[in-house]
Amino acid sequence: MSVAMNRRTPRKFGASMGKHAVLILVSVVLGFPLLWMALTSLKTNHQALADPPVWIPHPFVWSNYPQMISSVSFPRFVLNTLMYAAFTIVGVCVSSSLVAYGFSRIRWRGRDFLFKVMVSTLLIPFFATLIPLFVMYKRFHMVGWYLPLIVPTFFGSSIFSTFLLRQFFMTIPQSVSDAAKVDGANEFTIYRRVILPMAKPALATVILFQFVYCWNDYLGPLIYIDNQVWYPVSLGLTLVLGTYTTNWPWVMAAASAATLPIIVLFFFTQRTFIAGIAIQGTGDKG
Amino acid sequence: MSPWLIGFLAFFAYPFFATIYYSFTNFNGVQSPKWVGFANYTALFHDPLVGTSLFNTFFYTVFELPLSTAAALGLALLLNQNVRGRSIYRTIFYIPSIVPLVASCLVFVWIFNPATGIVNDLLNNVHIEGPGWFFSSAWAKPTLILLGLWGVGQPMVIYLAGLQNIPRELYEVADLDGARPWQRLRFVTLPMLSPVILFNVILQLVACFSYFTQAQVIEGGDLGGPGTSTWFYVQYLYEQAFTFLKLGYSSAMAFFLFVISAIVMVLLFRSSSRWVYYASDG
Repeated sequence: MSVAMNRRTPRKFGASMGKHAVLILVSVVLGFPLLWMALTSLKTNHQALADPPVWIPHPFVWSNYPQMISSVSFPRFVLNTLMYAAFTIVGVCVSSSLVAYGFSRIRWRGRDFLFKVMVSTLLIPFFATLIPLFVMYKRFHMVGWYLPLIVPTFFGSSIFSTFLLRQFFMTIPQSVSDAAKVDGANEFTIYRRVILPMAKPALATVILFQFVYCWNDYLGPLIYIDNQVWYPVSLGLTLVLGTYTTNWPWVMAAASAATLPIIVLFFFTQRTFIAGIAIQGTGDKG
Repeated sequence: MSPWLIGFLAFFAYPFFATIYYSFTNFNGVQSPKWVGFANYTALFHDPLVGTSLFNTFFYTVFELPLSTAAALGLALLLNQNVRGRSIYRTIFYIPSIVPLVASCLVFVWIFNPATGIVNDLLNNVHIEGPGWFFSSAWAKPTLILLGLWGVGQPMVIYLAGLQNIPRELYEVADLDGARPWQRLRFVTLPMLSPVILFNVILQLVACFSYFTQAQVIEGGDLGGPGTSTWFYVQYLYEQAFTFLKLGYSSAMAFFLFVISAIVMVLLFRSSSRWVYYASDG
C-alpha cells in the first residue's frame, strides 16, 4: 500500500498498475479459500486428496450436491432456518421500529439517557447473561425450540436494528409529524401511517441483516435446540462433518450450499448492505 | 420504547444481576440455588483450566485485536483510492465476513490440513515445510487468528465509510502545507477516523473475549486444537454450565470475565482522550 501511495509524481499509468497489482494480490489471497471450497466440492474424493493437487476438477462431480443434500436432512435445516429468520424478522420489524420511534420522534425526559443505556448494553458480552436466561427459559418450558431466540426480538433485543432505524427516523423532518398532528393524528397513527411507510428502505436493511444473522447463527441454536430435527443450517453443517469427515468433497459441498445463498443475496443487495453497515458503524460519532 | 424497556429488564437487567447472584451459590438448575459465599471464586482461582483458557483467550485477543484493526484499516485505505473496479475489490474483500462461521471453519480446516491441505502443498512448492496448523499446539491459535483476519470485512466497510466522511478540504490544506502521504495519514486521516476506530475496537474486544464459535466447531468436530491449545474461556464456561450443570460455578466464571472486560474497557476509554479526536462540530 505504501508503495502505491509514496510515488509522488509518477507516470499515472505506473501508479495505477501498482495499485491494481496490490489489490489483485490481496483479492487472490482473500478469495482463495472460497474458490478452493467450491472446487473441492466438485471433485471426487480421490482427486481432492491427490498429491500434487488437482486444480480443476475433471470430471465435475455435480452429484456431490444431491448426494450430500439427501444424506442429511439439508432441506429440513434450510426450512428450520427460514422459519427462525421469518419469526425474528417480524419481531425485529415491529419492536425495533416502535422503540426507535420512541427514541427519535417523541421528546420525553430521560430519553437520551436511556438511549445511552441501551447502546451501552452492546458492551456486555453475551455470556454475562447467558446462564440465568437459560434457567428462565427452561422454567417456562421454552428450551428445545426457537422460542428463546424469537421472543426477545419482539422486545427490541436487536440493538443494531433499533439504532439503524433511529438514525433513519431522525433524518425525517419534524414538520412531517407536525403536519399530521394538525390533521388530528396521534403518535401511534403517525408512526403507523406516516413514518413507517417512509422507512421502507431502512426496514429492508434491517430485514436483510436479520436474515443473514439467523442464517449464520450458531451459538443461539447450539444452546437452545437439542433435537436434530430442528437444527438450522449452521448446526446441520457440523452434523455433515460428524458423519462424513473422510469425504471432504461432501463436506465442502455442504459448506458451499450454506454459503451460496448468502453470497447471492449479497450480490443482489450490495448497496443496502454496505450502506447499512456504514450507518451502524459511523452513525454515532459521540 | 416501552417494549424495549420490558425486554431490557426481562432479558438483560434481570439475567445480568442473576448471574452475579448465582455466582455466589451452588446451583444445578433444578434445586433452588444454595448460598456458598465466595466458594466458587476460590475454586475458580485454583482451577488450572481457568488459567489455561483465560490465557488462550487473552492470547487470541492480544494478537487478533491489533492485527484485525490494522488489516481492516489497511484494506479500507487501499479501497479508498481512486482506482477502477473499486466496488469489485470491495466485494471480494467483504464477502468472507458474511460466510457462515461454521462454513468458514470447515474451509480453513480443509485448506490448512497439514497432510492434504492446499496451503502446505503450495508451501512445499517453494520448499517450505508447512506447520501442523490446527493440529499443532503451537500453531492452532495462530491459525484461528488467520481465520479471524480473513473475516475482517465488516470493520473494513465501516472504516471505508469513515474515510469517505473526511472532508476533502482537510487534504487540500495538508497538500498546501506540503504534507507527504504518510503525514496526511498520520495527521489527517487517523485523527479524523479515531472515533470510528475506538467504536470498532471496543466491539471487537467484546467479540474477542466472547470467542467461542470457531473454537467450538474445531474442537467439537475433532478437527484440531490438540490438548488445551484452543480451549477458550467461554468454551470452558459453556461446558461447566451445560454439560456439568455447574451453574453457580459457571456464573462465577462469567462474572469474573465480565469484570476483566469492564476493566479493560474503562482503561481503553480513559486512554481514548489522548488518541481519539472529536471534530468540534461533530
